[in-house]
Amino acid sequence: MSTDVILTSDIHEQMAVHQPKQRGKAGGFLRRTNVLTGSALGIVLSAVTYAIGSKMVPWGTQNADYSQVGLNALVGATYVAWVIGFMIGIGAFAGPVRWMLGHDITHDDSEYMAGKGQGKWKYWKYTTDHKVVGLQYLVMALTLLGFGGFFAMLIRTELGVTWAEVFDPNFYNSLIGTHGIVMIIAMIIVVAGPLGNFIMPLMIGARDMAFPRLNALSFWLLFAAVPPLLSNLLLGGIRDGWTVYQPLGAQAPVGMIGYQICIITFAFSTGIAGVNLITTIVTMRARGMTWNRVPIFVIGILAAAIMGLVWFPMYQYSQVLAFSDKVVGSSFFIPQEGGSVWLYENLFWLLGHPEVYVIVVPATAALLELMVVFLRKPLFSYKVAVAGFAGIVGLSSVVWVHHMYMTGWAPSAGYPFMLSTELISIPFGFLVLVMLGTLWRGKVWTRLPMMTVYAVLWCKIIGGITGVYLSDVPVDQYMHGSMFVVAHFHFMLMGAGLFGAMGAIAYWFPKMTGKMLHHRLGMVGFWVSFFAFQVTFGSMFVAGLQGQPRRVLQFDNAFEISNWISTIGAYLIGVGMLIFLYAIITSWRSGTIAPANPWGAKTLEWQTQTPVPLENFPVLPVVTSDPYGYGVPDPYDSIELKLTDENLKVGA
Amino acid sequence: MSTTTASSTQQIPRSPTTGELVTTTARRNRLGIWLCIVSDATGTVALLISYVYLWSLNVNSAWAPPKDSFAPDLPFWLIVAGIVLAAATMWWGVRGMAKGHRGQLILASALSSIIVLVTFVGQIVQLSTFPFAITEGAYASATFWLAMATAIHLSVVLFLTLAIFNRTRAGLFTQSNHSHVRLVAMWMTWVCVSALLGAVVTTTMKVSPNTNSPTFGTFSQSSNK
Amino acid sequence: MSTVDERPTAEAEEPEGPTNRPEPSYRLREWLSRPYVRHILIIFVILTLAIIPAAWLVIHFMNLSGAPASDIMYEIERTMFVFTLVSAPVMAITATILLYSLLGWGRVHGEEPPMQESPAIRSNPIAIFGWIGATSLLAAFLVIWGLVELARITEMSNGTTRANQQPTTAKPLDINVTGQQWLWTFEYPGQQSITSDVLVVPIDTPIYFNVTSKDVIHNFWVVELGVKIDANPGAITNTGVTPNKLGNFNIRCAELCGLHHAYMETQIKVVTQEQFDAWVREMGGKKFV
Ligand code: HEM
Ligand SMILES: [Cu+2]
Ligand SMILES: [Cu+2]
Repeated sequence: MSTDVILTSDIHEQMAVHQPKQRGKAGGFLRRTNVLTGSALGIVLSAVTYAIGSKMVPWGTQNADYSQVGLNALVGATYVAWVIGFMIGIGAFAGPVRWMLGHDITHDDSEYMAGKGQGKWKYWKYTTDHKVVGLQYLVMALTLLGFGGFFAMLIRTELGVTWAEVFDPNFYNSLIGTHGIVMIIAMIIVVAGPLGNFIMPLMIGARDMAFPRLNALSFWLLFAAVPPLLSNLLLGGIRDGWTVYQPLGAQAPVGMIGYQICIITFAFSTGIAGVNLITTIVTMRARGMTWNRVPIFVIGILAAAIMGLVWFPMYQYSQVLAFSDKVVGSSFFIPQEGGSVWLYENLFWLLGHPEVYVIVVPATAALLELMVVFLRKPLFSYKVAVAGFAGIVGLSSVVWVHHMYMTGWAPSAGYPFMLSTELISIPFGFLVLVMLGTLWRGKVWTRLPMMTVYAVLWCKIIGGITGVYLSDVPVDQYMHGSMFVVAHFHFMLMGAGLFGAMGAIAYWFPKMTGKMLHHRLGMVGFWVSFFAFQVTFGSMFVAGLQGQPRRVLQFDNAFEISNWISTIGAYLIGVGMLIFLYAIITSWRSGTIAPANPWGAKTLEWQTQTPVPLENFPVLPVVTSDPYGYGVPDPYDSIELKLTDENLKVGA
Repeated sequence: MSTTTASSTQQIPRSPTTGELVTTTARRNRLGIWLCIVSDATGTVALLISYVYLWSLNVNSAWAPPKDSFAPDLPFWLIVAGIVLAAATMWWGVRGMAKGHRGQLILASALSSIIVLVTFVGQIVQLSTFPFAITEGAYASATFWLAMATAIHLSVVLFLTLAIFNRTRAGLFTQSNHSHVRLVAMWMTWVCVSALLGAVVTTTMKVSPNTNSPTFGTFSQSSNK
Repeated sequence: MSTVDERPTAEAEEPEGPTNRPEPSYRLREWLSRPYVRHILIIFVILTLAIIPAAWLVIHFMNLSGAPASDIMYEIERTMFVFTLVSAPVMAITATILLYSLLGWGRVHGEEPPMQESPAIRSNPIAIFGWIGATSLLAAFLVIWGLVELARITEMSNGTTRANQQPTTAKPLDINVTGQQWLWTFEYPGQQSITSDVLVVPIDTPIYFNVTSKDVIHNFWVVELGVKIDANPGAITNTGVTPNKLGNFNIRCAELCGLHHAYMETQIKVVTQEQFDAWVREMGGKKFV
């Protein structure tokens, strides 16, 4: 690490630093771009592409007997034009082009790009400041969760109305697919996006992320990826579940193209974010922050970023190839023409499994980080926690076949993959141990973030145990493709992931927004959701045990009661979530002003002022210990030394 | 505050935007490029897996293109040779710049850009002259996409080498501050590796080893088991 | 960290004091005499006992529609049962500490950070190694159990041996299963290739399924018999079972396959050998030997 300490005053004055020639006003091209110019150019470009394309493309060309290649190509080109047009219009290519032309960015340019002096408008521009990007991610994640939640309500309505079909089966199938993938995307970004960008650099005492412009790029790519995904519902939908197994996906109408463009774009976004997060953590830690003093949340983000970076391209390429099958008629996944459905499944799950840890690891790490503050105790065994994350990162890449036990692909692969999957419960158990050890004998300060720790621990243990059932091939032979699987992964994704994210957001809310989150409202929303969640998915376990397949809209009478219960529970979750959302919105707009360090925490982000200044810290901090120096010496330790019988009774 | 001596801070330039020493940012950027390479490598592996797996399966006996018209080997190797040459030239320019010879880097990046351009055109020619259409079976699809990946890589490399050429001419690289060139050369080296892997599988794995795959939708192979 | 904090804190890595540590047995006694330890042990035992019935509950739900109708399903249920028993203590210890933390070690309310700090326990080798040892042992048990069971059901689904490892006398029956949007077709190649959309099989006969699909992926799930395998387009997958219970059971598609996936159901009728032969004759096939 550099031994070079820079004062903010040095940075502002830039006395010694030679500046490139300033061409025009600071900010250059980016002065003229924002989300409106981006959308406008995206829409214009896609409209032009569609208009020209529909003149050129041979409509209705048939590919095997599956899909209309011509139409697919047209819609594909239109979506691609949208993404490219949007990115040009918002100014994403200004940086590379200036670099190529040799018009390097000056200090003034970079301050403009970081949003200096632009007020609220900076949230709508290609702004590089990590705090702006963090808040953009937060709003995006909440929006996606809102969409996904709304779809979930529709799904449960269909399943609760056991006596009729509420929706057309095609629309129902599109709903479950869209719900699934919207939620997965939302959950991937909900912690690593807002908190990884806003909080993590503060936590390690950095002035910004390693690559600020890539940071803006990763957010706006995500932004560009969302409209294609949501528009699929208008274009016939993705009728295949979030996994979009082929060749069913090849049969789907053009809405499928929206999914594929979304995933391909989102994969770039994730990859870029991963590069940025890892580089920031590895190279930008404050002086003195050796690896054993890094806050555990940062380790969690690092672990998630590594898994995302390494494995996301598998998913991206699975969609690139599926896209190619659809628009140019290649045959990667079309069995008549030599393609293989197992190829798709392998490529998909090579990311698919690590991805679930990309979701749950940052949330868990955030809870480890915050629980010490509310227990006023050090983290129990930092090393075990780090080992847990390391073990998960290592093993997560060698377990994907547990999603394919019943596909008939390599039946004997069941043995090694059952082994590796069950082994993962050991590092997983490390994290549980650290949580339990930290709870041990701690006096709890009962604020909302701490309450989510209990919720998550509970859900995680249920999700973990049912996961171990599923990883056993004989059991999976009954459970696979049933509601049991759905309940298992909701306990993990929602129970451990989303509730953890709610706690993490509640904890860092004061730093991010400058306001305190309304305690009472937040608590009510959270607890209502939590108990309703237990009802909903508890009874879904029963439906699964009874033998209800997943992704069906009608079923045997035998499953009616558990589905009714699930539906009632789901509506209650909806109510709870709306209350929580209301708490967030009202607190953000008109909550009480937060002090710089409302929780009395010791990590660096709380040591700077709120709202956080552009440069984060007036003087870059120097770290002398880990941030877990809470607590008083254990009273039992001093008693122990005196070997008298009375002492055995002290400490009651 | 500063622990570095005045003289050393003068020698090493600072980044105009963050005020850090450029050696610091160079190290950071290098890690960034390494990570990009790792991520891109997964993508390449995905394509290689697709090729090899479909080759080994021969689903519905539809791996091979009609009349077994596999792509000729030579173009694959020519393209690999082009990229290797371009990368080597760029590294030669980097060595020159490290010794302070700006002219050498100008020459190297210009040459490298030309070689990349020629290779890129060659790649496009190969793509458009394959003796099969992309719709004609799994081999056609997989080969097409491996070549396509190289084409995409090459277009990115072309942008980078041209930029290096332009920036060197503009005097933006100096003996003490030319890390960008190294990064571009690193990336080009990775592109060589990825093209090489593609060439190896496409030229060595042609006829599928599986000759009795079941006919689609029937049990015609299972009966003679 | 670099900021000033007025609250009392523990010295982070203070070296151990003079080692007049008491002997282990004494320390264990002392530890067990702590009130919270006793409470936790009691709650733990109670919760474990309370969770154990879940093992029967799980089986109860699985059996609601007539399972187990094969040895495979019997093995599956046994595995579920054992896994639930084994998980009960894990579940219970987590729940106990969770509860005790919420209720037993004290709570502070209010908006100000509490002034009173908790004991600074940074590590405890006994707890760590105990936990790692215990979870590893549990995982090892589950893995070994799983591997053995997998080998057993694989053998059973090959249709040649029974659960009791005795080769059966009955000749195996081949059935070709074809999934297509949105129905199942069963072909009996040994019975002059008669076809049917209901699966009729004789009891106690090893059945051998070849499974494929004509369009997209389906999943052939014979619920109460514990048979499940994907029907893949472009590939043939194999599995098998020996039904051991007469009656009608469910066949469902367990992989989303498009529009009418929800209705892609049919039945398996397990009948006696005589009834089966009669059915085959009725369908126009020759007598089953
Ligand atoms: C102890 C840890 C875990 C084990 C042993 C485990 C095991 C499994 C297994 C074997 C399956 C496949 C079930 C099937 O389709 O037949 C599965 C499905 C799934 N798991 Fe887990 N899991 C664990 C943790 C997690 C976590 C932490 C998450 C997410 C945060 C998660 C999310 C999922 C999802 C989303 C699926 C279903 C995917 C789909 O088919 O749509 N699991 N799990
Ligand atoms: Cu998994
Ligand atoms: Cu189906």
